[in-house]
Amino acid sequence: MRSLEKSFPSDKSAQAVLPEPWRVVLIALCTLVLCSCRAPADGRHAIRQGQAYNETLPAEAYTGMQTTALAAAPMGPPGMEQGVPLPYEPRGPWSPPGIRQPWPEDEYLRDGGDEGRPAGVGDQWEVLGLEMEDTVAHYDTLDGRTVVEPSNKVFIYSPRFGAVRQVVGLVANEERRRVGGVHAPLKLDSPTTLQVVTDAKQNIQAGNEISDRPAVAMRSKQGDGIMSSAIGPRAFQDAFKPFENLAVIRQGLFEATEMPFLARGSDAAIAWSHTQAVQVILDRQNAMAEVKYDKSMSVYTVGFPPGKPKLRVIKVASTPFAKPGEEVDFTIRFDNIGNQPVGNVTIIDSLSTRLEYIADSAQCSRNADFSTQPNEGDSVSVRCEVIDPIESGQGGILRFRCRVR
Amino acid sequence: MVRPIRCLATRALCREQRIAGMMAVLVYGWLGMAASLPAQQPNVHYLHHGIMPPGAIGSRQLQRGGPLPGFYQPVEIKAPPGALVSLAVANQFGESLPTPQKAGFLIGAVYRLRVTNIRMAAGMEVFPTIEVIDRLYAPRGQELRFPISIEITEADLKLALEGKFVTRVIYLEDPRNASPVHDPSQAQNWFETSPGQDPLAVADGLGRPVAILRLGARLPPSQDEVRGLDMFFYGSPPFVAYRPERPATPQVRNLPPPEMSPAPASKPVEEQGR
Repeated sequence: MRSLEKSFPSDKSAQAVLPEPWRVVLIALCTLVLCSCRAPADGRHAIRQGQAYNETLPAEAYTGMQTTALAAAPMGPPGMEQGVPLPYEPRGPWSPPGIRQPWPEDEYLRDGGDEGRPAGVGDQWEVLGLEMEDTVAHYDTLDGRTVVEPSNKVFIYSPRFGAVRQVVGLVANEERRRVGGVHAPLKLDSPTTLQVVTDAKQNIQAGNEISDRPAVAMRSKQGDGIMSSAIGPRAFQDAFKPFENLAVIRQGLFEATEMPFLARGSDAAIAWSHTQAVQVILDRQNAMAEVKYDKSMSVYTVGFPPGKPKLRVIKVASTPFAKPGEEVDFTIRFDNIGNQPVGNVTIIDSLSTRLEYIADSAQCSRNADFSTQPNEGDSVSVRCEVIDPIESGQGGILRFRCRVR
Repeated sequence: MVRPIRCLATRALCREQRIAGMMAVLVYGWLGMAASLPAQQPNVHYLHHGIMPPGAIGSRQLQRGGPLPGFYQPVEIKAPPGALVSLAVANQFGESLPTPQKAGFLIGAVYRLRVTNIRMAAGMEVFPTIEVIDRLYAPRGQELRFPISIEITEADLKLALEGKFVTRVIYLEDPRNASPVHDPSQAQNWFETSPGQDPLAVADGLGRPVAILRLGARLPPSQDEVRGLDMFFYGSPPFVAYRPERPATPQVRNLPPPEMSPAPASKPVEEQGR
């Protein structure tokens, strides 16, 4: 093609649109613009590309799992690296009992979880990305990593109303009319066109229907035998409150009969299942050593999986609905469900604007330091730093009280 | 001057390049226009305006569908201390009751009230209207505990008595943009708008409008004007009257046992001897 163009340099039709260098530059610009359009990525990908402070953290800091180590050391048959798949899919985001999606979120207060930018720990141990209504816990592992673990979400029905007033006097209704000027018989130059409204904002009604929707399936899974021990009464006042009378709060043990009570006022119950538990599956064949007369031909050994630190954070509230002025107790249960101890466990709860922390109401079943600092919602962030490391299978309870504004 | 004969093969090749270049220019221009679209969005055009007559906004809400028709939304009416409020039944006001009063109102209907016994305005009456334009989705069994709170302040009543027309748009606050105030008296937060502003639009920016309260500039017609009564009471739509909450009876607990003094004898011993 180039030889043909050179043979006919006077052909203006070939240079009619743009010269060749400009075309190359134009195509490069278009390619650059098209490449700048980012497709929705998973959370981990967004974490690593979105925040600069997170670039120094390893990927395991957000998942709590050693992805490369797991890939190198499969723990079961192919396809079961994350454990035995359950026959049920996750049930989706939380919604009030009996109401289908979408549900009116403006009538509920949310506390817990990690919305918006994912929280992370910076170089100076400051927690970045912690927004209002978030509740996270971060801890250090034996290999020097800092892992951030969000809690589940807790929703409290507490609508609050405001008003907008407008006062209009009779003088505003006066209208004075007079002669509109001189009659000028001018013809119209152009017809008047009425602009049709093409865009309108409408309040989206919640298309909900009140109906009975009993729980049809529960997803649960038994761990590898690591269970939380009983919590001692050290530095922890009062007995367990009525809403804390759950085995998962008192002892960290899941019971199938408590699932409906947990799912009623909390979110992400699916995240509490022991999908991160250590599992060893040998395809229903026991490990065995074959010994013959001459020598041992092959020996099968069972190795321990690599270190998998994991902190489980469960949050519950004393009531699913509260009016302004009433008090709500929040209880956070944290358990080390990994296979190695974790240290410097810090739990941070950034309260919503409409939740007012009651001073000196925080209690922890372990030795901990409490502190509060204002957040962007004119409320406070409650910070609980557990002093001693938490061994595998152990946990604790954090409790504090808030007043609904 | 003789023009050179064009080579057909070269022309065909150049045609493809020309088309590719034009396509690239079009794509680039389209992307450039798409990038500026969000900034060219016009202002929000509201279908409803706060000055619309009572009932217009609610009826349009019903036309938009949703679980609104036939639903009695609990409403709590609060008035200044001492004031009495009565609702209309069959174009007549019922018994005047102290506030707070709870009632279930249909969405889209307009309810006429009468407020009497106003402090510092003996013998004066105000006839506000309440129009519920949206509903709440309270948990089952908690509907009465979380009604729409409609407060009639003393300042509003005085303005209405002076001949002003007061419009209050009650909205459900967005919890993420709520004002961080805590009033121990549980008074409702409210904002003042100028006559040129649309209170419905302002309330929509702060949350979800759920009810409209209007006071002043209306007097009831005489009983002979049947058509006027219908217009004044807006047909007296049905409502659900909830029983007022009884004050909690004080529970007597752990009272000390009454002192049991020995019963006196009918007569002193000395007197019996005498």
